[in-house]
Amino acid sequence: MAVAGHSMEPALREGDWLFVLPPRRQPRVGEVVVLRDPRDAKHLLLKRVAAVGDGEVTVMGDRRDHSTDSRYFGDVPLTDIVGRAAFRYAPLGRAGRVRS
Amino acid sequence: MFGRLFKPTTVAHAHCDIPCGIYDPTAAKVAADTVAKMVEKIGALQPGATDFTTRGNFVRMIAVKEEHAQICKKELEILWSDYFKPEHLEKFPKLHDTFWKAAKLCSKNKQNVDAAAAAELQAAVKEISDMFYATKK
Repeated sequence: MAVAGHSMEPALREGDWLFVLPPRRQPRVGEVVVLRDPRDAKHLLLKRVAAVGDGEVTVMGDRRDHSTDSRYFGDVPLTDIVGRAAFRYAPLGRAGRVRS
Repeated sequence: MFGRLFKPTTVAHAHCDIPCGIYDPTAAKVAADTVAKMVEKIGALQPGATDFTTRGNFVRMIAVKEEHAQICKKELEILWSDYFKPEHLEKFPKLHDTFWKAAKLCSKNKQNVDAAAAAELQAAVKEISDMFYATKK
């Protein structure tokens, strides 16, 4: 999965290529998840989990001043989480695990 | 080789809609249309009527017209200062002039009840809207 946009900098940059794992368990706070945009299900978003509630998660971009996230569209149902960003495989120079 | 083999097929957006996404001339258009509609409705009031209902409606329509003329100006200024970039200016050399005149038309419509000025504002917003959508192609 390719990253577009700047809201997750410096952890993830535009053009990074990520290996995304399917959500086998409930996401944990701090993990970077791929989710369906609550405003447009065809659109995928990449955000960090800020809080996990009852069947819902609060997601935030790392760059709070440059991110559209739960502050704007509210909490997101767990069913909208499509995966967890686990590993960056490109660029090779910055390859490695996506840190929580 | 690496690129071709492992290039991802999907994109996840780490975007910000503020300040890089929620730009839409529709808000200015609705405001300009509201101004025109209020001018039309004010003109349709019975001249010289002094009953409270007519007076109330008149005051309300004037207030809404002025409020929306101000909203239109604010929405245009957001597009002007935040959305449009220097490269757009190359494509639309009249961009600044169009915005400047449109902003002035907002003030004119706030001050007056003038159907011609309201129509001019709608036309100016349409011109800006057309430039906006042309940049999206």
